[in-house]
Amino acid sequence: MASLGKFLQRVALGVGVATAMVLSASVAGAKTTFVFANSSAYDSLDPHTVFDVGRVASRLNLYDGLLRWLDNPAKLENWLAESYQISKDGKTYTFKLRKGAKFHDGSEIEAADVVYSMERILALGKGAAGLFKGSVEKGSTKAVDKLTVEFHLTKPSAIFLASVPEIHIVNADLVKKNTKGDDWGQAWLSKNDAGSGSYKLTRYDPAKGFQAERFAGHFMPWGKKYFDVIDFRTVVEINSRVLGLMKGDFQGTDGYLPQDQVKRLKAAKDITVQEQESMRIFYAAIHNGRSPMSDINFRKALSYAFDYDGFINNILSGSVARNPVPLPNNIWGAPKGVKGYSYDLDKAKSYLAKVKEPMREITIGALTGYGQTEQAASMLQVALGKIGVKAKVLSEPWPVVSAKMRDEKQMYDMLFLWKSTYYADPNNWVGEMYDCDQIGQRNNSWYCNKEVSKLLDEAQVTTSQEVRAKNYAKAAEMVMNDAAGIFVYNTKWYGPFNSKVKGVRFCPIGNGQEMRWAYYE
Amino acid sequence: MRTLVLIVNRLAWLIPTLLGLMVITFIISHVIPADPIAYLAGENATNEQIAAIKQKFGLDQPVYVQFYRYLLSVVQGDMGISLYTQRPISEDLLSRLPATLELTFVTVIVSAMVGIPLGVISAIGRNSWLDHVLRIFTVSGLAIAGFWLAILLQLLFAMRLGWTPLQGRIEGWGPEVVTGFFLIDSLIAGDFEMFWSAVRHMMLPVATLSFPAMATIVRFTRAGVLDAVNSNYVLYEQAMGLPRRVIVWKYVLRNALVGTVTQIGLIFGILISNAVVVEAVFDWPGLGLYAVSSILQSDYNAIMGFTLVTGFLFIIINLLVDIVHGAIDPRGTG
Repeated sequence: MASLGKFLQRVALGVGVATAMVLSASVAGAKTTFVFANSSAYDSLDPHTVFDVGRVASRLNLYDGLLRWLDNPAKLENWLAESYQISKDGKTYTFKLRKGAKFHDGSEIEAADVVYSMERILALGKGAAGLFKGSVEKGSTKAVDKLTVEFHLTKPSAIFLASVPEIHIVNADLVKKNTKGDDWGQAWLSKNDAGSGSYKLTRYDPAKGFQAERFAGHFMPWGKKYFDVIDFRTVVEINSRVLGLMKGDFQGTDGYLPQDQVKRLKAAKDITVQEQESMRIFYAAIHNGRSPMSDINFRKALSYAFDYDGFINNILSGSVARNPVPLPNNIWGAPKGVKGYSYDLDKAKSYLAKVKEPMREITIGALTGYGQTEQAASMLQVALGKIGVKAKVLSEPWPVVSAKMRDEKQMYDMLFLWKSTYYADPNNWVGEMYDCDQIGQRNNSWYCNKEVSKLLDEAQVTTSQEVRAKNYAKAAEMVMNDAAGIFVYNTKWYGPFNSKVKGVRFCPIGNGQEMRWAYYE
Repeated sequence: MRTLVLIVNRLAWLIPTLLGLMVITFIISHVIPADPIAYLAGENATNEQIAAIKQKFGLDQPVYVQFYRYLLSVVQGDMGISLYTQRPISEDLLSRLPATLELTFVTVIVSAMVGIPLGVISAIGRNSWLDHVLRIFTVSGLAIAGFWLAILLQLLFAMRLGWTPLQGRIEGWGPEVVTGFFLIDSLIAGDFEMFWSAVRHMMLPVATLSFPAMATIVRFTRAGVLDAVNSNYVLYEQAMGLPRRVIVWKYVLRNALVGTVTQIGLIFGILISNAVVVEAVFDWPGLGLYAVSSILQSDYNAIMGFTLVTGFLFIIINLLVDIVHGAIDPRGTG
């Protein structure tokens, strides 16, 4: 009987040990998956046709560039490029690629792939192509040797380097193999992966999103902890994204949620909301080329009629930072100590009295589906009513707005919108928004001040950082003094994640969606 | 023979109907002052780049030329490519259509299976407490906004009770696509766990869509049954001594269903349009969301493709309804 007891004890011990081994093995073998709920649909994965912030995750996780923007304030770091040199005349940029860096299919990344990627961007004319227009001509990029590539610019461009991260390198051989006619492989690349990024595409459904697994062979060493699988899904409804995060269906979602939802998430269990000042300014573009806005007194009246504090503190619960100039507060070159305009209807009236142009009803544009633009427009409409200016609010969807913005006759008298970060250089804001050369394209205010343009043009070609910073600061202040627009705030990013998610590195360009550093605690 | 004539007649009308639909949709989508190419090319694009892309897609041509070209390609079975994804529209639509159809079919089946018996019970017990309860139910079904109901159901069943998933179509990425209907594909794969996951994910969206659909079916069935119950043939059957159960469920219901079946055909169309809201709330990757994003982006070919497919489906469903109508109407088969 005693021996039977011992036998049963041993069996029980053996079963216990075996179970523990199986369990530990399965835990060790279990893949960690991070699911992110995104508001925009991943309707295409082609890194050269898509350039919006909403779909940045596919570009940053599946593809690499020669350089990369990292952290906040954004710093430009070497990425696929080991080093680079700029010629004395500022027209030739030579990049040396890392040796042994590989695409997801195992083939080596070569200078020819960089050349092909640049040519593809220029040929398609979509996405980031506008950044290179006028500075990089088709056929001008050369592979000097297997790992050296040269960009020959038509003129010196101080912003070229800042645009380089947008040249996502695609596997030229793979894309060429899947090209149909003159489509540069667009149909194929819209749903396939030809990159070398930290994650490798495993599943894609345009209606659902994409899933990618860790690319162990990535040239950048991995940390001790990481996500094995990342899953970026489209969840259009804000409420569904928030509830899904609270329930544990998702581990992260976008950082620009309305404040009521941010408060809800802050109060929820197992959710951490990370806070960072981003580089996304909210402003009203004023049509400076049309009467009565062409009169500086009228524009000043408009600027004094907007209740900045009321909007920021009451409507946005103080969740953003007042930003009085057309440059985010936290970028180099932003003028320091500028107070900007304040809500003062008496001053607004006094400026209005100086207006010589005949008065008429003005149209304030807003973006349908973007409540803040509509709220700001309504707020200004009410204030203008108090000083005797009739105004109507016209809210329209973005494709309609973006078409009207480029047409002098169709452009609204005023339009509330944001200017996002495409590259962390002051030129992204004041340089594009108020240069005379950009009128009707990126300058949608029909504002032209020769003195401002001179400062901006000089800043675009000089390689002296000191001169650039000084010029941009001066230009931003001059634009503000001219009341060329109403500059309201700089956005803060409130990134909600499951509390177990650690290591998220926020950068204004990537909105914290490059996942190679993140992991579960 | 009568049915065959009906089918031929309806199919003959299919082409001019679709053509009319195409003309209207094409004009509406093109006269909106939107510029999809400016949107596609992005904020940083120059005017020259936008003009070049417009030329490439033929959008620099007059609207009637664009329509003629589109019509030619549709006749050849090509619905064009999406301005944004560069993929064929047919490919994009086919990847989403099964999700919406599966949701719609299950909703119609559930609504009919529950709504018809409730309609009959309501009519038989006219002005009883049950009839009053069902009246409140049906009026609520027709009055309550879909998105509000959807969020309430999510909060109660997914968040508080934890009985159902919050959103999505299935756990993970779903079974190997054969038909695109996850209920069928999971059974084909022999994966019952996945089948159950698909059923569970379907519960809340189907409940949201079924509520108003069921309400309509209950009201129409009730009215039909009340109308039929007072007929002379029912009096005759009662005089013949037939059991009430047989009279109601065999003879009265058949007559009463004529109007209900017509409604079910119309409900199908309404469900497809209501699916837009439900798909958004429940993150259901169907045609509704595709249509919304296509409209917001002014992706002309996608808008046309969606309209053509849903229009075609609506016509076919109504043809089927007419055939069923003819089959169940005792006056037609007498």
